Amino acid sequence: MVKKMNPPRLSRQSTRIHRGNLLFLLPTVVLFTIVVLIPFIQGIPYSFTNWKSIVSVDREFNGLNNYKYLLTNKYFLESLGVTFKYTILYMLSANIMGLILALMIHRSSWFNNIARTVLFLPFTVSVTAGAIVWSYVYTDVYTYLTGLVSPLGMPGQIVYGMVIIGAWRDMGYTMLIYIAGLQAVPQDYYEAATVDGASKWQQFWRITIPNIVPAFTTNITLLLAWGLRTFDLPMAVARNAREGQFTAVYVYDSIFSNNKAGLGQAAAIILTVILLILTQGVTRFLRRLEVEA
Amino acid sequence: MAHTIVSTDNRLALRRNTKKKLSKTAQNLLILVTMIVVLLPFYVAIVYSFRSPSDITVNRLSWPDNPTLINYYNVIFNNDSFLTGYKNSIINTIPTVVILMVFTSMAAWVLARHDTPFYRVMYAILTLGLLIPFQCFELPLYINWYNAGLVSTNIGFIIARAGLQISISLTAITGFIKTVPRDLEDAASIDGCNRFQCFWRVVFPLMTPINVTQLVLNTLFIWNDYSTSIILLRKKESYTLTLAQIVYFNENTSMLNEAFAFFILAMIPILILYLSMQKYIVSGITAGAVKG
Repeated sequence: MVKKMNPPRLSRQSTRIHRGNLLFLLPTVVLFTIVVLIPFIQGIPYSFTNWKSIVSVDREFNGLNNYKYLLTNKYFLESLGVTFKYTILYMLSANIMGLILALMIHRSSWFNNIARTVLFLPFTVSVTAGAIVWSYVYTDVYTYLTGLVSPLGMPGQIVYGMVIIGAWRDMGYTMLIYIAGLQAVPQDYYEAATVDGASKWQQFWRITIPNIVPAFTTNITLLLAWGLRTFDLPMAVARNAREGQFTAVYVYDSIFSNNKAGLGQAAAIILTVILLILTQGVTRFLRRLEVEA
Repeated sequence: MAHTIVSTDNRLALRRNTKKKLSKTAQNLLILVTMIVVLLPFYVAIVYSFRSPSDITVNRLSWPDNPTLINYYNVIFNNDSFLTGYKNSIINTIPTVVILMVFTSMAAWVLARHDTPFYRVMYAILTLGLLIPFQCFELPLYINWYNAGLVSTNIGFIIARAGLQISISLTAITGFIKTVPRDLEDAASIDGCNRFQCFWRVVFPLMTPINVTQLVLNTLFIWNDYSTSIILLRKKESYTLTLAQIVYFNENTSMLNEAFAFFILAMIPILILYLSMQKYIVSGITAGAVKG
């Protein structure tokens, strides 16, 4: 951290600099206010109305009715279930795969560098494109080799089919973050441990894992947030399957297809609250581990 | 006596070495298999795109007997949605990443160099976008854009997409500036250059590494954007490549080979960007990680 105290300045000069700073902030603040802040605040009252079609302006305040309806609505609760199931499985598999790959290729060599390039490649393709190609990988390769039906075509397996696509895309990302974490572990820790007679296994649990907790924090919270707001993936390959209906898709359909704008907005707010509580809670918990380690 | 001890030691070391080499080979083999699985979807897409429509092979994984470029030709020359999509993606992406670079680097400099409550609150507000999911304000954003006549326009998309990307870019750039010593800026301001000159002549050039990283990463995210595009681009003329290809796929399941050629062509610019700028992408992603 390079932090220096500001040298004391004359008050007239410091107000002038302050105004200069505001000018530098202004474009970003204006853009952010128009695109994110105003719509965010505007959306809260919408969720307490019976607003139906977005092409009309008719809407009346109906209190907590949307929220009450959603919390007992089978489709909405199912969409939350699908979202949670996907998020947990996707977060775990992308992290485990990313960590294993990082452990194997975190040292630099020509082979490892090529492997990193290849393993990160799926992240650069759009989710929708990747998912559509995967639907053909399932029917052409998976079905051809095993004789089983594509998981995207089976209601009970559709979430697993999507977890594989999600992990395929994002394990390269978690891998890069784990590699950065592994490379930052001081090499002499291992040398000292070897001198003391610690086995490779002990070294892994006592040195490697505690030293890469910050990488765990980043990867777990990031993938948790990505998982909960998953939208592109089901839009591409599970559009018509109820078992593949995510909350983000429920929100989109309510607002833009089913003429239930107020209800959709309330569903979006529930999703936001869940996301905030979960990611903040998990971050706090992991940060405490970082301090201990 | 001493001699035998040394020799057993040697033999043990030798055995350990062979074991190490074996496990290294097994590891590399495992990595190789993972790489093949990861690349499989790309292979499937390429095979489809080179297959002529009349070619019906039983084994769909095999390389086509008579690879053809007809699918690519048809997509490029006989497909309106492809060229419109390309045009829109380019028109939308380039200004967005440039606006982001100019705006956020200016703001990040001020936010990184001041540590009073006012700037801390500003930073917290401007990075709220990392926490709030887009679903929470897609409806109001659409309504406002509709009332302003910005739906299905390039300019409307550019404004919205730049605004949505602010939080991520700002976090990365602010983190970077905090690692740059401020001596040069102090020297420049003593030499009498004003705030704007000082920023553009001294600070901005120092930010080149992070700015290139952000240009590349933002290009990736915006070129591949789907969730903003589907809300704000409602007319066919305004579709980006990402939207156009998913619509094309759903409407032309009978012309699968062309759809896959479409696909490969949409991916090529991103692939070139990734392979030539890989260093920056990796450093951009890992820079955030070390900070946690």
